[in-house]
Parts: sequence; structure tokens; C-alpha cells
Amino acid sequence: MKKNILNISIYVAIIFFIILPVIYTIFSVFFGDSSFLENIKLLDKNTFLLLAKSLLLAFTVASFTTFFGTILALLLYKTKIHLSNFLKLVLLIPLFISPYILAVAYKDFFFLVFGNSNLISSFFGVILVLTLVFTPLSILIIGSALSNINSQIEESGLILTSFNRVIYKIVLPLIKPALISSFILVFIFSLSEFSVPAFFGVKVFTTEIFSRFSAFYNHSLAILQSLFLIIICVSLLLADRKYLSKASFLAIGNKGTKNNLYKLKNPIISNLFLIIWLIISVALPFIVLFIQAFSDGTTNFFKALELLIPTFASSFFLAFIGAIIIVFVGFIVANYSVKYKKTDWVLLIVFAIPSTIYGISLIKFYNQPSLNFIYSGYAIIIIGYVGKFSFISAKIIENALKQIPKSLDEAAQIASISNSSRIRKILIPLILPALFASFIISFIFSIGELGITIMLYPPGTEIMPIKVFTIMANAPQSLTSSMTLIVFSVSLLMISGFYFVFKIIKRRR
Amino acid sequence: MRKLILISIIALFVSCNNSQKEVIVYTSVDQIFSEPILKDFEKETGIKIKTVFDTEETKSTGVLNRLIAEKDNPQCDVFWSGDPIRTIVLKNKGITTAYKLEIAKDINSVFKDKDNEWTGFSARARVLIYNKDSMNKEDIPKSIFDLTKPEYKGRFAIANPLFGTTTFHFAAIFTALGDEKAKQFLADLKQNNVLIATSNGDVKKRVVSGEIACGLTDTDDANEAINEGANVGIVFLDQESGFGSLIMPNAVCMIKNSPNKENAKVLIDYLLSKETEAKLAKSCAQMPLHKGVEIPENIPSLDNIIPMRIDYNKTSVKLEEIQDYLKNWVE
Amino acid sequence: MSIIKLENISYSYGTTDVLQNFNLEFEANNLTCLLGDSGCGKTTILRLIAGLEIPQKGNIIIDNKIVTETGKSIISPEKREIGFVFQDLGLWPHFTVYKNIAFGLEEQKAKDIKIKVSEILEFFGIENQAGKYPHQLSGGQKQLVAIARSLVLKPKILLMDEPLANLDVKLKHKILSYIKNIKEQFKITILYVTHDHKEAFAISDKIIVLNKGKIEAQGNVEEIKSSDNEFVKYFLEY
Repeated sequence: MKKNILNISIYVAIIFFIILPVIYTIFSVFFGDSSFLENIKLLDKNTFLLLAKSLLLAFTVASFTTFFGTILALLLYKTKIHLSNFLKLVLLIPLFISPYILAVAYKDFFFLVFGNSNLISSFFGVILVLTLVFTPLSILIIGSALSNINSQIEESGLILTSFNRVIYKIVLPLIKPALISSFILVFIFSLSEFSVPAFFGVKVFTTEIFSRFSAFYNHSLAILQSLFLIIICVSLLLADRKYLSKASFLAIGNKGTKNNLYKLKNPIISNLFLIIWLIISVALPFIVLFIQAFSDGTTNFFKALELLIPTFASSFFLAFIGAIIIVFVGFIVANYSVKYKKTDWVLLIVFAIPSTIYGISLIKFYNQPSLNFIYSGYAIIIIGYVGKFSFISAKIIENALKQIPKSLDEAAQIASISNSSRIRKILIPLILPALFASFIISFIFSIGELGITIMLYPPGTEIMPIKVFTIMANAPQSLTSSMTLIVFSVSLLMISGFYFVFKIIKRRR
Repeated sequence: MRKLILISIIALFVSCNNSQKEVIVYTSVDQIFSEPILKDFEKETGIKIKTVFDTEETKSTGVLNRLIAEKDNPQCDVFWSGDPIRTIVLKNKGITTAYKLEIAKDINSVFKDKDNEWTGFSARARVLIYNKDSMNKEDIPKSIFDLTKPEYKGRFAIANPLFGTTTFHFAAIFTALGDEKAKQFLADLKQNNVLIATSNGDVKKRVVSGEIACGLTDTDDANEAINEGANVGIVFLDQESGFGSLIMPNAVCMIKNSPNKENAKVLIDYLLSKETEAKLAKSCAQMPLHKGVEIPENIPSLDNIIPMRIDYNKTSVKLEEIQDYLKNWVE
Repeated sequence: MSIIKLENISYSYGTTDVLQNFNLEFEANNLTCLLGDSGCGKTTILRLIAGLEIPQKGNIIIDNKIVTETGKSIISPEKREIGFVFQDLGLWPHFTVYKNIAFGLEEQKAKDIKIKVSEILEFFGIENQAGKYPHQLSGGQKQLVAIARSLVLKPKILLMDEPLANLDVKLKHKILSYIKNIKEQFKITILYVTHDHKEAFAISDKIIVLNKGKIEAQGNVEEIKSSDNEFVKYFLEY
């Protein structure tokens, strides 16, 4: 009984803190603002063409990332490839760098090599950059699922047929939820992305929404247009639900999850692929950034350091707390989704909304004298992060939970172990890799978040991505690149720290 | 472990509630230029400054939308804008309040709001920057309308008119010429193969590199190029024709129902002082609107420049009107 | 005649030495039972024969062909003509019973596949379950599917790892009789791993009692029952 009250209050808190502001804003668009009808008229054929273009972009990027993510995840998590632990970490790097900055690096690279940047300042360029940025996300999600497959399911296949067939016909179908999650997440991210298309001069739906803001300050119209994004995303999720509803899934074996690693017959090709990917997605931008950073000597690098050092502590603190709460919320929602078959579309709505609009909803909702204690401190930023990224966390954890047979939990129930003990001692240890993956992703996204943060950050505070982008407004390239290098190095250090701690925790168990 | 998390969460909520002397500023002026001024204010008056800076418009949209969203419970005391358009938008939405400055008496009334809801200072101007190697003295355009002439075909650039000062410039042209003539002018520019760059900084970059012969940009970008040692020159257009060059002052306004009204007034007075204008003239080549401010040699004085005669209010209205047209024009 | 030979096998898992200089031969067309406690290495022996593990030292020879040489797998698992029934069954949850069984045959003609699968389903009396998914089956039915799947390619050797672990007594008897039947019908060599000596006594031609990676005794049922070996006597008491 007590447990239920706690559960209910947690759900209520989630709804109140995260969902209500958004719903409140949407309602005020329809019922509060008199210009609603005028705004409807502004939705012309052009808008819908742009929407179609955005959908095409998102679909292409999501397909590529899922494809490459699968290959890379298989190599990293299922084979005895050299240095796999190091590679798992290093290949995450593009996630730490803001897509916009990567776009700048690639444009400069093309300029250096080809003398002009026409090839990349195009639809193709946007796809390239977004694919490189989001593939690490796919690798994490798919890799996490691959690690959870019962080895006997693979082995019974290996007795009968070749390794390749086992992968195609058994392993991949069994991780379909992860493949689909990865696709949907990247699809939504690409759909809402605007800084990269804007930089390459490619018009898409989000650049349209954005210019409504910038130029017209027409909030209502922008929100209305965002509704389209939400509707598309929710439909995707519903399709995902329907398609997956018939499958029943895996068992974690009685001997625990021993993850089989297989030796590659032809390591040369695989290693080559990994190296090429590493070069294109990590080494190249890094080198370009490096060249740019030190093009006028080291003064700007030290200046960048000076500018950024005051931001490290607060950024880390915010991202860390944010990530923990995000994992917690994700777990609650995922648990609920799996048990009662309700959907997590509620979190999806917030995820699908462009950051700026979500920021505005939070302002409108929380900027009341009575709620000042939330609004004028760091809490509001954390609420922003939690709202924005909980969906991802819930998805990752949900996939892991689905892979646990009910019997494990029921066995504990029969043995009269309390609910909280069951969760703590049985459920959580079994999904620890997923919890950790979810934490890392949430941390990375939170520490680099710009759109919401800039709308909400308390005056006078110093936060890393804000600092980079405000200084970037009028700074020499070398300063900007130096700042980027520093931001990414610091993030990398923090993440490595987490991996290290995680290894220790695993060993202790 | 759990206790630690609980404590941190509580700390979050309590974090920013100091009640000392402070003033809250939102600014869209580049941090590199605005921050030193604000820091000096803090030092000289002892009032703590808390700032929200803005990012470039093409990266995100922050400060202005934030002010609009916060309208019902303002958190900001003073808004320092890089141009009067934004302050006019705020005024039109009822977010600003009047503050008549004694100190601004000697500023030309065209740079002030008639209801005292915003005041201009330290101005930039729209200029033509040209590459000395690509252009002889005789060939330099004297008027913005020269750019439609065949000898400049494909040799000049402007920044994307959907953002920043270029929008302002075009709106001013529309206000001054009237819609029909302005649209004709724009069409002629397109016919003359105008190159559309991503920003003023981009225009400067391309002229410096010699990629194009000349382009429209702001005084601060142009001066930066000269300071970097590039072989470029600056021209104030339409001085002889009387049409004038567009002057874009900074503008500051006080937010209605702000939390620290008295401190806000102190800050606004400070920003509008001659000392501040002198500093901004030095740091970013902005021209003072006060009379008799000491400026470095390379900065032109407003006394010597013929400005475009426009009403900023009308221009701001025009700006919103022409957005759709501009969007189509860019394509 | 030995169909399987383990020669001087040494295998460690992490820091544990499971087998050291281990030698064992299995006779063709026999049902040989590996009997012992958990951790004695019996499952490991099966996995080594199947090619799912590679020993650090030693050779494995199946039907006069070297399949594993020191540290290397010469012939991969799917080419060793072996069937394996796993302890957790390893049934593929996204395939029906039919597909689970047919999967190994996929490189053959569709007509042939249908015939072979139907044959095997009939043999085990589970034709009616063909369209069901594993999670829709009872424990005993799942077991039969796992065994059927392992036999569909008509392997020479069938490896079974504690196949009756989760079944009730009645089912155990039923399936044990199936297993005995299989040996006759399919002319196949069976290696059967268990810790339950009653099972071993019920069906084995030969029993090998293992303890911590060492052979304590080998022989037929009578010989084991009357063995003087201390460990064997202790083991049989329970």
C-alpha cells in the first residue's frame, strides 16, 4: 500500500513537472490566443513541402545510423576485435560535440581539400553530419541489446548453421526492439534539428519554425507548427507499439548473461571498416578543430581555457544530477510501460517538441511568483533536461526490461521479498548495463544542451555550451575551435571517469 | 548516497536566492563587448550584475523570446540591445516602461523613443567594405543604388537579409523608398548576381580573401578587418546623394515591473554615459551619439556622416511586414 | 569403435582449471552418460566436442577427423554433424515450432523441408504444435521441440545437456523412452549429461562418473552400481 502511494506520487510529480507545462502551452495556443485562425491560414503548401523534406531527411539519417550502428555494434559487442573497450568509448565522441560545430569542421575540411564547400553545403552534407553525430547513439542502444542475448540461443544456431546466418536470422530479429528504438530516436532528433541545416543553407521545416520565432516572434504559429512534429512522432511510436505487440522475448539464462564473443574469420575487412569510420567521424573533425584552434598560436587556446574553467563545475553538477533523475524517471516510466502495457507517449510529446518551444512552455508555466524558488534557480534547468531526455532513457530501459522473463521477478515475489528489494536486488542488477548506457547518454546530452538552457539559465550563471555559443557570436575561429576542443576533452574525461567507476561497481558484484 | 542526492536537490532550489544589491541584465550585444562594460559597472558601483547573454541568431533564439515569455513575471531589469528594433518590439508588446534620462539630453531625438521607453547610444553604421586590390579608387560605388550597375555584376555580397542588421537595412530602405521602388531595387540586385553570404562576418571574410570585390557590412566588422591588417577600405555610401548611410545605435530599455527598479536606473545611466561610449568606440568601433566624446582616430564621427533619415518605429513595423517578401527574395 | 576421442585435453575458464590432460573415448552407436555434480566438467566436455569451446591444449577427433587441434578449431560447429540439446533449450522465441525445426534445413528445397519436418514432428507426436510459439508450449512440449530440432539434420552424434532438468517424473519417463527410441531409430551416438543417476541407469549403455575434471569410474550400469570407488558410492547414495 505504501509502495503504491509512493508510485502514484512519483507519477503525479512527473506529470506536473514535465508534461503540464507543455499541455498548458498547447492549450493556450488554441484557446488563449486570438490569432489562432490567422495562424492556421499561414500554413501553406510551402510549409507542407518543407515538412516532407524534413521527413525525408530524418528518414534517411535514421536509416543510415541504424544500419551503420548495427554493423559497428556487432563488431564491438559481439566479436573479439582488438581494443574493443577503447573503441566503444572513442566512437562515442561525435555525440559530445555539438552537431553545429561538427558541421563547421567538415565544411572547413572540404574547403581545405577541395577548395570549395559546395559538395557539403547541401542536403547530402546535412545527412552526412547528422549520420556521423547520431550513429554513436545507435551503437549504444543496439550494443546494449546485443549484450543481453542468451548465449544458448546463439549457440543452438551455431550448431546448425553458419555464423552469418545466425546473425541475420536469429540475433538481429531478436534485437528488433532496439533497432526500432534506435531508428525512432534518431528520426526524431533529425526531425527537430535545425542548426546544421541552417548552417549549410538547407531549408527544412525546423528552419521554418525557427525563423518564425526569430523574425516574427510569432510564438503561436511556431507552436502550431511544432504540433505537426509531435503528431508525426506520436504516430511513429504507435506504429512501433503495434508492430512489436505480438513478439515475446528473450530469456536471460539461468547461468546469467554470459556474452559470447566470436572470432572474426576475416578481421582485415572489419578492422578496416572500423578504422575508416574512426577516421571520418572522430579523427577528421578533431584534426580540423585542432588546426583551427592553434592557427594563430596558443593565445586563444589559453583564453578559451580561461573562459571555460568557471563553467566546469556547474555544468558537471547540472548534467550529473540531471542524468540521475532522468535515469530514475526513465526507469519508473519503463517499468510502468512494461507492466501495464501503457505507452510512454507522454514523454515522447515533450521529446518531440523543439527545445526553444519547450523552454518557452516552462517559462510560461513556472515563471510565477509562487514558483519563483524553482524558476530562479538551477532546478528549472534540470526540469528542462529531464523533460527533454527522459524519453530516451525510458526507451533504453524498457528494451532491457522486456528481455527479463517474468519468472525471475515472480520467483522473488513467491519468496516474499518486498517490492523495493526485488527492484533493487534483482531487477536493477540485471539491467545495469542499460541503466548505465542511459545515464551516459543523458549526461552527454544534458551537458551539451543549448536550446532549452539558453531560455532558462539563471542570469549570471556560467554553463559550458552557453558560454561557447555566446562567445562564438563574435570570436575568431581559433577561439571557438579551442573552446570546442576543451569542452569535448573535459566531457570525454568525465565520461571515462564514469566508465571506470562502472567497471569497479561491476567487479564488486 | 541517497541522502547526498536529496541534499543536492534541495540545494538546487535554494541556490539563487540572494537578496543583495543586484541588477539583472539581458543583452544581445556580443559578450566580448558587453561584458567588460558590465564588469566595470559592478566594480564602480558595487551593485552585482547578473547577465544573460545571447547567441547568434542563426544558432538559437534566446534572449528576446525569453523576455517575451517572461512578460507576466519579469525576471529582467534592463535589456541592452544591439539595435533599436528589438526594443521597439518589446515596447509594442508592452514589456518596457518609460525612463527619461537626464543624461541623454544631448542625444539627437531621432535616436530616442518619443515615449522614453528606449534610448539609443553607441552606433554602428552600414558601410561598404571593398578590397583595395580588386578595386580602383575610381570604381568604388558611391551609392547603394550603384550596386545595380553592370560594372559590379557578380562582384558584391550582402549578408542574409533574414537576420541581423541586414534585415534592418532593408527595412530602412523600404521605409525610405516605399514598397514599389524598394522591391524594384531588390529585384535589380538579384539580376546583378548579388552574392548572399551567411553573415556580416562572412561578407568581411570574403572581401578580405579577395573572393569578392566589395560587400555591405557593419562598421565593427569592417574595422576588425582593417585591424587585422587586411588590404581593405571602407566607404559610407550615399553621402553625396543625401540618401545617407544607415545608423544603427545600441538601445537600452527598462523592463516593466522588474525586480530591481532603482538599480536598473543606475545601470541605464551608466550605459548611456560618455565614458561607456568612449569605451565602446575603442573596443568595437562604435560611434558615440553624445557630443564631445573622445574617440580613437580611426573611428569616424557622426558629425561627419549623413545618416538615413528614418523613423525607427516605422522601420520596425516595416521589418515585420517584409519578412515573407525577403524570404522569397533570398530564394 | 570410438567415434569421439578426446586426447590430452586441457581447458581452463578464467582462473579455474576445468580439465587437465583429460583423455576419453566414446563408442559409436552407444548412449553414454556423463554423470557428476555441477562444476565437474561434464557440460564443458560436451561444449568442447561441439566446438563451442576451444581447449588450450589437446586434440578432439570425431569420426576419424581432427576437428579441434591445440588451441584451434579445424572444423566449425555447424560442419561437425552434431546435434545439441541445450540445458535452457535455446528455442528461438520469434519462430514457430515448425520454423524452429526447419531452420537448420533452410538450404534445402522447400518440398524436402516440409517432408523432413513433418516426419520429425510425427515421430515426437507434436504435429499439432507446429504453428505455436515456444512461449505457448508446456515444459514437456518444449523439450521435445528442442530434441526434434537437434535431430532434423540427421546428425551422427547427439549431445544432450541435462535435458530433463525441469520436468516432472511422468514427463521424464516419457522423454527418456523417446531418447532410447531415438538411438535405435536414428542409428546415432548419444552423449547424455546429467547429475541424476536414476536417469543414467534408465537408459545408458555406458556411464562415466566425473569428479572435478577427473574420471572416477566408467562402465555399464551394473559395473557402476557395484563399483568400489568411494566417490561413486557416495554419489549414488543420493
